[in-house]
Amino acid sequence: MATLPEEIKAAMQGVIPSHVVTCARDGTPNATAISQVYYVDPEHVALSHQFFNKTVRNVRENPRALVWVMSPQTFDTWDLEVEFDHAETSGPIFDVLDMQIEAIASIVGLKGIFKLRSADIYRVISATKNVSERIPLRDIVEPRGGR
Amino acid sequence: MKAHGSIIPDRVVEVLRGPAVMVVGTRDAGLRPAHVCAVGAVVDDDRRTVTFFVPESRSARLLSDLQNNGRVAFSFGLASHEAYQLKGTYLSSRPTTGEDVALQDAYRTKLFAAARKAYPEDIARPYALGVAYQPGVAVTFRVEEIFLQTPGPDAGTKIA
Amino acid sequence: MDAEGHKAVTDERPDAQPLRTQIVQNQQTIDRLNRDLARVSNEVRVIQQISREITSTLDLDEVLTIVLQAMERVLGFEHSMILLKERAADRLRLAASRGYEPSGVGVEVAFGEGVIGVVARRRKMIRVGNIGASVAYLRGIRARLEAAGQLPSGGDATTLPGLPAAQSQLALPLLVKDRLVGVLVVESPRPSAFDELDEVLLGIVGNQAATAIDNARTYQMLESLSRLKRFFSPQLAEAIVTGGADDPLKTHRREVTVVFLDLHGFTAFAETAAPEDVMGVLREYHEQMGKLILAHEGTLERFTGDGMMIFFNDPVPVDDAAERAVRMAVAMRDRVTALSSQWRKRGYELGVGIGIAQGYATIGAIGFEGRWDYGAIGTVTNLAARLCSEARAGQILLSARVASGVEALVETDEVGALALKGFARAVPAFRLVRLKPAT
Repeated sequence: MATLPEEIKAAMQGVIPSHVVTCARDGTPNATAISQVYYVDPEHVALSHQFFNKTVRNVRENPRALVWVMSPQTFDTWDLEVEFDHAETSGPIFDVLDMQIEAIASIVGLKGIFKLRSADIYRVISATKNVSERIPLRDIVEPRGGR
Repeated sequence: MKAHGSIIPDRVVEVLRGPAVMVVGTRDAGLRPAHVCAVGAVVDDDRRTVTFFVPESRSARLLSDLQNNGRVAFSFGLASHEAYQLKGTYLSSRPTTGEDVALQDAYRTKLFAAARKAYPEDIARPYALGVAYQPGVAVTFRVEEIFLQTPGPDAGTKIA
Repeated sequence: MDAEGHKAVTDERPDAQPLRTQIVQNQQTIDRLNRDLARVSNEVRVIQQISREITSTLDLDEVLTIVLQAMERVLGFEHSMILLKERAADRLRLAASRGYEPSGVGVEVAFGEGVIGVVARRRKMIRVGNIGASVAYLRGIRARLEAAGQLPSGGDATTLPGLPAAQSQLALPLLVKDRLVGVLVVESPRPSAFDELDEVLLGIVGNQAATAIDNARTYQMLESLSRLKRFFSPQLAEAIVTGGADDPLKTHRREVTVVFLDLHGFTAFAETAAPEDVMGVLREYHEQMGKLILAHEGTLERFTGDGMMIFFNDPVPVDDAAERAVRMAVAMRDRVTALSSQWRKRGYELGVGIGIAQGYATIGAIGFEGRWDYGAIGTVTNLAARLCSEARAGQILLSARVASGVEALVETDEVGALALKGFARAVPAFRLVRLKPAT
């Protein structure tokens, strides 16, 4: 098991959407963007879902997943190899996620309708910071032309 | 002989041309998933295959997986959350050409314009334009299944 | 050279290299912790200063101002607000804010509405850093649910206080023991503006603030309570102060049952008896009558020497105003009868006369700046007073209205129509004989 570095917390605030790739038992991969990955502790992350989707189905047959996050402060990205551990439908982690969803749902008039189904807890197997893939800020130019 | 693969609907082609965030998923022999972001993509003239572009520095694992089992998932979505997922089989890869780069630049421009609406300038710029996308690899795959991925009551519906 | 660029030290020990790396890493961790600690120490110092300031005052406005100033000074938050829980409802009201134009003071938020309302309902802190994205995501889902016919169409929830484009919010419940006093909120237009340390520090200030606000409010309430207790029973005074009854001092009209009583023979007695004896009798009389007023939950509007006016159905409405009035009057008569036999032994002839009437009165604050009193004015009060004058010692006279209202409760005698001062026509009156035995 690996430990998540402190600096990754900024990438887990849901500012920039994260990505998750899973794989069904029949070998078909599934790729999706999600709004937020939650930092639970240095060795665990949580994913929330409101509808029972393919990602959820896949990890229950094949627990390995790849979670990709980007920091809105440094724009570093991480590949996290994680493994589905268990789902929680109550408890402190569920409560924190549930509360956030309840708050936003009430703002858009979905109070009571849009609810957290479960908080899926994953163990972190490895955390790799992706290096040498960014253009330094001062060197960024907007493309000319473009169709 | 029955033609392989799905015909890609007009709307999907349109969204792929738009400023969509692109996610590529593969897996290795042990069913362990891998991820890479694509920087631009295009539906090929036959409307059955798609070519996406990834930075060469991020392509090693991708190509290894594709050569191992050929399975690929390609998800893309707009800021409005309209999103689709294509699943299919790897066909070929090659280095990006000047023409590809022009396509990628058009894509990056659109992505930047969209990002500016959602984020303050100091996030939009590095987010949309900060990926080192050259040198790049163009990967082509045959589309076999198309799913609606827009979050909501119909998410996961197969549309082709 | 190792990864840190340090020249490797030759050493026989095989674990020297990893050990060096570990030492360097540890040092980096220590440096970071020291930086965090310096930040914390500085902030803890300021928080201690703030808590001294907060607890030094019982003025609610001062407390709120100090807390919000602290939000800016200590934590650097430009936008902060405090909402206080309404006394008898699951609602918050924005009491003070800093960094908002307009201030938003007075805006109400129901429990469960928005981030603030959810924090109040669940009594837990919340930190969000991506409000714009989350709202956009859920709005999209809402639209699709509506399009799929799975949802009645409607807009967003009612407008909530705060920055229109807040991206980050940190909101915590202000709790004193198990009671929710209010909610403290800081906001930022930047995404993920707050971190865990901000949560901790806000929590510390929040605890101080909760106690100070609660104390200030309690003090406010006690001040009101002591003022109101001059007019009302403690239960009533408390009900008014905690928001269970309307503000009685605001002028209003209501139908009330008025009881007027005075001690017949008192004037003659006061002229001849020794002052200590007069005060002694009055004290006894007031004490006994007072107990009965409290027991029947009447409102004592005034007492002047031996005369008292009590009414029912204001400030707290009751279903059985006339019955209560009558029961109290009977109890008062009985008590005074017992007292007067004692007084007779000392040579004083004293008895109570009671008049009861019912009708609309104008009720509210009577007087002038610095000398407000709670009072009732109307024909009904005059009638009750006149009936009281007409009543002989030991008599209870009822107006026709009251008599018919309590027919089931008491036996009455017709006294006939009385010519009363201030009344153009003769007024029918009834003498209360006794309570009907319970069946």
